[in-house]
Amino acid sequence: MENFSEVIAIFFSLDNFIAIAMGVVIGVVVGSIPGLTATMAVALALPFTFSMQPVAAILLLVGIYKGGMYGGSITAILIRTPGSPASACTLLDGYPMAQQGHAKKALKAALYSSVIADFISNIALIFFAAYLAKIALNFGAPEFFWLICFSLTIIISLASGSMIKGLMAALLGILLSLVGLDEVYGSQRFTFGNYNLMDSISFIPLLIGLFAIPEIIEFYRKKALPHIKAKASGAGLAFSELKRCLTTIVRGSLIGVIIGAIPGTGATAAAFISYSDARRRSPNKANFGKGEVEGVAAAEAGNNGVAGATMIPLLSLGIPGDVITAIILGAFMVHGLTPGPIMFQENLSLIYALFMGIMFSSIVLLLVGNVAIKYFSLIADIPKSILFPIVLMFCVYGAYAVNNDTFDVWLMLAFGVVGYIFNRAAIPAAPFLIGFILGPMFEDNLRRSLLIGHNDLSIFVRGPITWTFIALTVGSIALALYRFISARRDARNAAGKSQQE
Amino acid sequence: MNNAFHTTCLSICGGALALGLSVSSVSANEWPTSDIRLVVPYAPGGTTDVLSRRVADLLQQELDANVIVENRPGAGSTVGTGRLARGGRDAQHTILMASPGHTIGAAIYADLSYDPVEDFVFLQNMIDIPNVMVVPADSPYESVIEFVEAAKEQDMTFSHSGVGSSIHMSGELFKTLTETNMTAVPFAGSGAALPALLGGDVNVSFENMPTVLSHIRSGDLRALAVTSAERSEYLPDVPTLSEVGEYNLDQFITTAWFGLIAHSSFSEEAQNVMHDALDRVMEREEFLDFAEQLGAEPGQVSGDAFKQFIVEDLERWEGVAQQAGISQ
Repeated sequence: MENFSEVIAIFFSLDNFIAIAMGVVIGVVVGSIPGLTATMAVALALPFTFSMQPVAAILLLVGIYKGGMYGGSITAILIRTPGSPASACTLLDGYPMAQQGHAKKALKAALYSSVIADFISNIALIFFAAYLAKIALNFGAPEFFWLICFSLTIIISLASGSMIKGLMAALLGILLSLVGLDEVYGSQRFTFGNYNLMDSISFIPLLIGLFAIPEIIEFYRKKALPHIKAKASGAGLAFSELKRCLTTIVRGSLIGVIIGAIPGTGATAAAFISYSDARRRSPNKANFGKGEVEGVAAAEAGNNGVAGATMIPLLSLGIPGDVITAIILGAFMVHGLTPGPIMFQENLSLIYALFMGIMFSSIVLLLVGNVAIKYFSLIADIPKSILFPIVLMFCVYGAYAVNNDTFDVWLMLAFGVVGYIFNRAAIPAAPFLIGFILGPMFEDNLRRSLLIGHNDLSIFVRGPITWTFIALTVGSIALALYRFISARRDARNAAGKSQQE
Repeated sequence: MNNAFHTTCLSICGGALALGLSVSSVSANEWPTSDIRLVVPYAPGGTTDVLSRRVADLLQQELDANVIVENRPGAGSTVGTGRLARGGRDAQHTILMASPGHTIGAAIYADLSYDPVEDFVFLQNMIDIPNVMVVPADSPYESVIEFVEAAKEQDMTFSHSGVGSSIHMSGELFKTLTETNMTAVPFAGSGAALPALLGGDVNVSFENMPTVLSHIRSGDLRALAVTSAERSEYLPDVPTLSEVGEYNLDQFITTAWFGLIAHSSFSEEAQNVMHDALDRVMEREEFLDFAEQLGAEPGQVSGDAFKQFIVEDLERWEGVAQQAGISQ
């Protein structure tokens, strides 16, 4: 490359290294505090970047983004409180692992899969940005609609135990997601005149309430103080275990990359899709949801795979795929740079310096994550009678911090009760969450497709992408039905046999 | 290791400070006597947010106080604005970055808890951003006239970034004035709306200039017109809609405006201090550069003239909302 020396000159400045390191540290810490999300941290850091060099400024924000993605998993694993929405899926197996005394192992698995996924995502960004951006442009409302349909079939695999209860939970999630502004007509639905509900039910209070509060209620209901083992944090992750998860991590990363490259889907959906894919393929299927290390790896690979890839539409098309990249776009513009095809012509050296920094941030994440685990995993050793009041305080603070609003605290407590009822009735919370996240996307893209196609249904089968997702959706449902029916038949046969006897 | 731990602690403290727990910088008896809150009635990341953070940064250099940006998103901009309208003891030190959502929100929400004009004082219009009527590069329409003629024959679609956005309302205004058939296709923000336009899923959009400028320059989108009264210096070859001269389009003059407002009880003294400080901010090189990067013109009006501008803007959008049937 002609101007390689220029790239090196731009990248190798102390400012850049400090920016990355600070960004990742801030990200991990903020991400791990429930209610403080990476989005908030990026927004708060933005004004500080105005006076920095452009590359250092962007790298600081990217560092926070990546750190935050991982940081969210720490509290999800340790105290069943997802630090950020994207880590909700990580707690499904991460928290059971921590309870079984494998907190450190879960944290390490989350870290290594995050770093590997991040690395793969960066590679995709650097080498396939132009190609993936083209795919993203072909992803219109009908394609989105079928992608969401396919993703909704995840509910089937997450409805561990009873299918009926799983579907019930999912439908309840979809129902609650309807609260707020109707995107097409702008009318208010189910808000009962309460302006706090006018936007929609806040996601973070819902998450915290649904997962963290039931644990606390359960603990005080039983009143028995469990004797904590001296070292509940347990051992780290053995290399053989990491090796076992490697294909899952790579597959999850690729899922994350594709979802990340398409603007508007998000890391939370990627984590769940990766998780259900891993569960479907794993020989340890039955152990998913009960503390399977592969489940943690799949979830984290999915959500971190998104991080680098969301930069693809941003850099190559100037289109931010989520709120964080929208803020990063703002940072570019403050420095007089406009992401998009023109930037690749005019500021190529800068882009390559940025790529080097983004790659370097993966290494920093590994180092910072390891230090963080060392201290954070001590949380697992704190007796629950001391830990839970602190957790409760964080829950209240976290719910409040999202909008600085006490209404969200009440909302969080209400969902705590819902979560507790779910626990007692053995209704799985994950399908509820999927319904809540994907429900609005399903509805909006359905209605959007019909508006674009002037109510002509043929728009839903307009090209190869739609055909592929239709096939996947139908296949996924057929497989589930087949399993459901054969399981019933087996059960009936077994019952018949025992009656004969 | 210890160092890393200290860094961690420091970042937590830093985060807490940044979150608004910072100590007040109390000076003499003159206003401001405490930190100033700049409320952004939208989520982080949009134009309003980026602009507010830039303005806050410059403003606190001009005033003897910290200016803390606080995002209060929800229901257009009406949640954050509604909070400001209620006043309270912070009202003397709270300002808000208003935008077309202020007037459009008032036009489409019938049961708003506040009066968009009387409940506020209007400090300074910071910037104006024109919207651009853009079509995909492979669109057959080369001019506004061609587009309107085609839209009289067949149903067209236009993308927008959400019900009640200036992009949406500009589309509705265009539809009303030209008496054409156009269907609004909503997206969650311009980021999501842009691919539909670039990919040709919708026929046209009335996007904010900064969102589409680079795509116009790279040839991925074709600009048919700008919505401001004068041609934009960033797109000197693109006519204004009012230049078209047909289909009532001479009445089509709108810009996305951004300006600072405060509660109606905001004291005379505070208003004077703010006017002086904002005058200085708007003369600064950093501010003018920033406006240029956004494709924006520095705002023209302040005080009573700004208020008059708001009254007129409100009347226009009330008319459009009624015509389009989106008032509730």
